[in-house]
Amino acid sequence: MRSFSTYHPFILFIYYVFVLSITMFMMHPVILFLSLVGSLIFYMMLTSVRTLWKEIRFYLFVFILMAVTNPLFVHKGETILFFLNDNPVTYEAVVYGVFISMMLIAVVFWSKAYSYLMTSDKFVYLFGKTIPKLSLVISMALKFIPSFKQQIKKVHNTQKTLGIYTSESITDRIISGIRTFNSMISWSLENAIEQGDAMKAKGYGLKGRTNFSIFTWNHRDMFVFIIIVIVFIIIMFVNGLGGYSFTYYPVLSNWRITGNDIVKYILVMLLVFLPSLIELKENLQWKYAKSRI
Amino acid sequence: MRKDILIVAFIALLIAVVISGTKIQSVEEYYLTHIDDITEDSETVFISIDARAALDNWDDLESELQSEKYVPKDGMILEETEYVLRPKDTVFDILQRTTRHHQIHMEYQGANENIYNSVYIQGINQLYEFSAGPLSGWMYAVNGEFPDHGVGKYTLEDGDVIEFKYTTDLGRDVQDN
Amino acid sequence: MEICKIENLTFTYPDQKTPVLQSIDLSVHQGEFVVLFGESGSGKTTLLRMLKQELAPHGDLSGTIMYMGQNINDLDERTAASEIGFVMQNPETQIVTDKVWHELAFGLENIGVSSPVIRRRVGEIANYFGIHTWFREDTTDLSGGQKQLLNVASIMVMEPNMLILDEPTSQLDPIAASNFIDTLEKLNRDLGLTIIMVEHRLEEVLPLADKVVLLEAGQVINTDTPTNIGVRLKGLDKNHRMLRALPTPMRVFHGLDMEGKSPITAREGRRFLTDFMNGTKLSNEIESEMVQDEQPIMEVKNAWYRYERDLPDVLADVDLQIDKGEIVSILGGNGSGKTTLLNVMSGQNRVYRGKVYVHGKKIQQYKGKELYHHNIAVLPQDPQTVFLKNTVRKDYEEIAQVLYKDDSAIEQKIKDIAEQLSITHLLDNHPYDLSGGEQQKAALGKILLLEPKILLLDEPTKGIDAFSKETLQVLLKELQAKGMTIVVITHDVEFAAMISNRVGLFFDRTLISMDTPQAFFSENNYYTTVASRMSRHVMERAITDEDIIKICHNNQEKLYEKTVD
Repeated sequence: MRSFSTYHPFILFIYYVFVLSITMFMMHPVILFLSLVGSLIFYMMLTSVRTLWKEIRFYLFVFILMAVTNPLFVHKGETILFFLNDNPVTYEAVVYGVFISMMLIAVVFWSKAYSYLMTSDKFVYLFGKTIPKLSLVISMALKFIPSFKQQIKKVHNTQKTLGIYTSESITDRIISGIRTFNSMISWSLENAIEQGDAMKAKGYGLKGRTNFSIFTWNHRDMFVFIIIVIVFIIIMFVNGLGGYSFTYYPVLSNWRITGNDIVKYILVMLLVFLPSLIELKENLQWKYAKSRI
Repeated sequence: MRKDILIVAFIALLIAVVISGTKIQSVEEYYLTHIDDITEDSETVFISIDARAALDNWDDLESELQSEKYVPKDGMILEETEYVLRPKDTVFDILQRTTRHHQIHMEYQGANENIYNSVYIQGINQLYEFSAGPLSGWMYAVNGEFPDHGVGKYTLEDGDVIEFKYTTDLGRDVQDN
Repeated sequence: MEICKIENLTFTYPDQKTPVLQSIDLSVHQGEFVVLFGESGSGKTTLLRMLKQELAPHGDLSGTIMYMGQNINDLDERTAASEIGFVMQNPETQIVTDKVWHELAFGLENIGVSSPVIRRRVGEIANYFGIHTWFREDTTDLSGGQKQLLNVASIMVMEPNMLILDEPTSQLDPIAASNFIDTLEKLNRDLGLTIIMVEHRLEEVLPLADKVVLLEAGQVINTDTPTNIGVRLKGLDKNHRMLRALPTPMRVFHGLDMEGKSPITAREGRRFLTDFMNGTKLSNEIESEMVQDEQPIMEVKNAWYRYERDLPDVLADVDLQIDKGEIVSILGGNGSGKTTLLNVMSGQNRVYRGKVYVHGKKIQQYKGKELYHHNIAVLPQDPQTVFLKNTVRKDYEEIAQVLYKDDSAIEQKIKDIAEQLSITHLLDNHPYDLSGGEQQKAALGKILLLEPKILLLDEPTKGIDAFSKETLQVLLKELQAKGMTIVVITHDVEFAAMISNRVGLFFDRTLISMDTPQAFFSENNYYTTVASRMSRHVMERAITDEDIIKICHNNQEKLYEKTVD
């Protein structure tokens, strides 16, 4: 899944907002299920089947844990399975537990996938546009922090071989940590002076500074933007009319999917599978283009 | 690291379950309560469960509860019924016996689970606190008086009349009647 | 046309009496490649900074600096920023932003260029410098060489007329440094860019230079073409210290007291030797002594190491014996695992298979600080990391307290070490204010206070100039004479050839050969010293300029007879 990441950061951002709001605020089981599947496929495409499998093994436990917890503490619902300490354990609560954990895991995977896509430069671009100075500061900080960490590690290693402090005693380790940190302050200042010089040398501080970014908004972005906004608006509209309402307590709403509902769910599918569809489309296009050569 | 957190959570859950007890009963077992027959010399009390207030505030009620199943047409979940009073019975004992007998859904919070150290009735017949607005919930009266202590602490006497009332306004709508 | 003309420039820092620069006259023509050199403290950096309006230090100034016929202080800020580029020593600190593309655009943003233009210029420059393959990377993930290349590219994108560089390769390894210099050559040749640079890696820079400027104590004592600079130096003083900084062929040339245009590159040096030897074949009888002992002072046996279980091995089946009192150099490319080997030897990393013995005892049997008191000491690659205090003296006192309890003993010990390293005058300075070479000496002093028996040095010649290198060499020899065992991990073949008793090559996770430097370098064809490359066709086993000169001197009669015939 490299192709979705090539879209404009703004597209990535609103897509994430839309998908999350649908997942988090619409408790319809079909939506939750589609969103979960969508997030898993999305994540798999960004990483690999192996990583996904590793993650799934962990989240399966989380899933079971949450699904079990709900009916133990919530006793609403008409269909009683059995009584635990004189309180009813209900079918409705079990189902609700399953879907609420589905929702949480879908949110987790959307966010994980998102953190792969939304690299720091895109983030800075999105939120720094309004305050250009801030975006430069963030960018500088993002450069400074890793080098600071590296330097701390180097100093620490050197100090270890000087043998003033052992690494076995905890107090020694704390004291040595404080000493290292102290020296890091002078290092940072020294660094800042040189960096300041470098910035001045490249004309920083002149009037009329512009802001450049490598992200461009092209017709491809426009196309996807229109699609997701329209789909989202329709979904919200249908939701407003009660099209996606579903209640868990005291009794589950009707599960059955009729012909009319199909359209509603196709809309949701369109949204949650969009990155995968884009990927598929580009793969096919590529294959086609290659076969023509 | 993540795995550790998970294991801790599992253990916590396990401990919670063990501490709160693990009495598991099937539905039939639970509802199979022994009701003493009323004889000449048995002491008795009267109990009713009243959700008329919900009827009056139908629109405030959560939409899924707007059904005869949960709020009967006349608003009475249980008409006044007579039950044998066993020695040292509290209001809660009677309510539990009644709901079991009639297979009415009821959820409560045990005395050790809340800050009042008293049993708290959360919902009866799927009607819960806050089901009809933020000021809604269950209250009870004995002989027309609303006691200021919990259902589990009120010991009944012969001939007492218990009324469980659903309020939508912190009791102001039911108390004055 | 003169792009830059300095006339009678004298400059004094505010709190000092003697001027750092004294009546300097210098003119640089459009498209010239000018190399400035001189000892540290000769005012090179100050002079360079005077040429860049934004970086010019405050102080007392007389004389003029003209840029394109205009006084440099009257230049429009925008012109000054974009037309004069400045690259500093440390590749790390000059980078401002977190992404490569942003760094390239930074200067253009500052001078207010519009986005579409920036896009084009950045794209163009990334291609020219071969940056396009890592265009979207984080700047912190780059290697030192890539960082310095990015620094130049981010300046070149502003289309300067004149590029000023202050020891740009001092922090780079030899391969990255020579790539960097190649890039400069390309810029100078393709674009006619004027380059003024301070550099101590003269071996590679001199062949490119149009003009060499020698600074001493704030004065330009010489300006000439590279081929003549040696002669001019000798004219000043037969044993001028600067002669040591010249490339090997030039040193040989002057060591043999020749007159005229000196050879600069190895190729020219080779031709010169062919003529000079006139058909005679000689060989070096001197061989570094091998110290042989029953019990090695340190031994690495079949060592395997990896950083994490899932990662590949960094060391694979490494065997190494260090005997008491020898100097061993271990050469190897970047990322070959040399430093890891050093860390294994110093007990910072533990091997997962194999053994490491120190004084015949397994390294893991040393408890806590035991290993580092009177035993092993490590001089890290970055000497700055040794210092934690505000002055060198405070750092020294802290470490001396480990071994000595008595205040007067501490003071005496510090005094002795400082004198031995001739850094007494630096003791009260802040460690960060010292020059590269001074900093390194001070760092060495600190670890010597632990009175080690084994000294491990990681890239000791990185970031120091030719003179400091020579001082270091003398110092290490002195320490060796006092019975210390020294292991040097380095890229620097010339340095290894000068100091070692034995030299090893680390390659593909293991030590592949180990021999005396004479045998090692004369058998290698590529991985060898310039002296060996220029002399191997006429003399055997000569690996340093001193070897060549000595052989020639020892065989003077033979050579003389030949020429007479």
